[in-house]
Amino acid sequence: MVEIKNLTKYYGSNPAVQDISFTVGDHEVLGFLGPNGAGKSTTMNMITGCLPSTSGTVLVDGYDIAKDPLEVKRRIGYLPELPPVYTDMRVRDYLMFAAGLKGVPRDKREKQVKDAMERLHITDVQKRIIGNLSKGYRQRVGFAQALLGSPKFLILDEPTVGLDPKQVMEVRRLIKELAKDHTIIFSTHILAEVTAVCERVVIISQGRIRAVDTIENLENSIGGEKQLRLKIEGEITKVTDIINGVEGVTGISEVEYESDGVSSFTVSVKSEDVRKPMMAALIAEDCMVLEVTAVHANLEDVFVRLTAPSRADALADLNRELTAAREAEKAADAESGKEADD
Amino acid sequence: MFSLYKKELQSYFYSPFAYIISALFLLVFSMSFIQGISNMDSSIFKFSFSNIFYNNFFYFIFMIPLLTMRTFAEERKSHTETLWLSAPITIPQVVFAKFLAVATVFLLMMVLSLFFPLIAAVKGHVIVSSMICGYLGFFLWGLVCIAVGMMMSALTDNPIIAAVFGETAMIFLIFLDNFASTDLVASLPFLQKLLNWFSTEVHFSAFSQGLFSLSDLVFFISITLVVLVWTIIIIEKRRWSRG
Repeated sequence: MVEIKNLTKYYGSNPAVQDISFTVGDHEVLGFLGPNGAGKSTTMNMITGCLPSTSGTVLVDGYDIAKDPLEVKRRIGYLPELPPVYTDMRVRDYLMFAAGLKGVPRDKREKQVKDAMERLHITDVQKRIIGNLSKGYRQRVGFAQALLGSPKFLILDEPTVGLDPKQVMEVRRLIKELAKDHTIIFSTHILAEVTAVCERVVIISQGRIRAVDTIENLENSIGGEKQLRLKIEGEITKVTDIINGVEGVTGISEVEYESDGVSSFTVSVKSEDVRKPMMAALIAEDCMVLEVTAVHANLEDVFVRLTAPSRADALADLNRELTAAREAEKAADAESGKEADD
Repeated sequence: MFSLYKKELQSYFYSPFAYIISALFLLVFSMSFIQGISNMDSSIFKFSFSNIFYNNFFYFIFMIPLLTMRTFAEERKSHTETLWLSAPITIPQVVFAKFLAVATVFLLMMVLSLFFPLIAAVKGHVIVSSMICGYLGFFLWGLVCIAVGMMMSALTDNPIIAAVFGETAMIFLIFLDNFASTDLVASLPFLQKLLNWFSTEVHFSAFSQGLFSLSDLVFFISITLVVLVWTIIIIEKRRWSRG
């Protein structure tokens, strides 16, 4: 279990990360989500002990990173944002060296390196010099390095950056596979990645935690209202009437004419069960339904809402100013009233 | 720690680095050797290796920083330091492993230079005891240079700057006694005493003349250790102030 308690980091007087706390249970995949410069890498560097914190602690299996750094580091495999590979070494030599550095016993190094290379599909480049490999391969060599020493926890900082779509898919599959016997914390600014891989997310922005929850809960928290998008062939007025007549429909929010009498309707509904009676009603009136899709409020909306505090702050400021102005006005009125009385 | 030592050592031989510097070292050494022979007086047919060592003492300023400039600066530049920062290994271990690796390369260079005494031995007589003493002094001075070079490498992320800083620091160390004998410093006896105490040249010249004294040995080893401890502190400090 990794417990992060009130972690704070200042660079000079600039706060990079402020008061971050969350816990990661065993065999969990946690997505660490935030826009660029939110403090993701700083936090990860602190969890792995590369960077000391200004205040707060990280406990890994009960060991404090500040007091027992070696015990913590033995339990963590870390893939930093830029893979820490020596470009003048050969892949296999590099991995053997990394295994030694992580304290893997001599007789087990060979096997662990072989397994890691097979997992990352880099066995066929093991004799090549890392500097001559492409970015994708270097990333994979860095990833293989994180697996050495069979650490219980894997910390992956943007593991898919710079990879082509096929490699991205592969890395995601690998993370899922590794989740069986590792606890994984991985950071990303790509939302699809989180939905594809994690159960739980931590959303961070401007060095502060905005949310810690499961993806489902987050989507529900913002969702509330469900929407259906339908493509229907038929007269717009007629179709609108029919749809509005169906029980459970709360309104049509958007109608768009497409072509040849086909229009698309965005309908707000109380639940998705409305689909059946709506279909029946439309078909009874000879309107052809070509397409039905459910529109979910997705993680993207959650993300945008949570990581854009500047707008909320601006609104709050505006409100405060308005109230202040109003009060000033009132006071002025009262005074002028007094003067009038005199 | 041994893995790190091995990897550091290998990295010198993966690239042509160690070979080129060894060749340069031998070139400089052989020039001093030739000069020693050509300056031989026809009446005495004798020259001392101590002179050669003494000459090379100065050339070191330019060679050792080339060996040490990449130790930390390069790692910082290519972001590979996270590898050992996140591994179960302490910073003193890292510094020590790297120091040992450079010292080994340096030792190899010295072994290569044994070629010259061997040639001399074929045609003449070599005073072995004095030569061993000279080599020892040479090696100890090299260790000090390596420690200083590594410290300078830990200060920056640019290997070239690290090399220039290292050279400057070594020039300062070598000419410390010249500096100490200036009128300005002489007017402050305490400062002069202090500078003289730290002056490496006095200690080195004793070695190169075949004089072995324990105090000189302790002097070189303690300077090396102090500089290595500074290196550790610098790296720790940097870890605190910047990721």
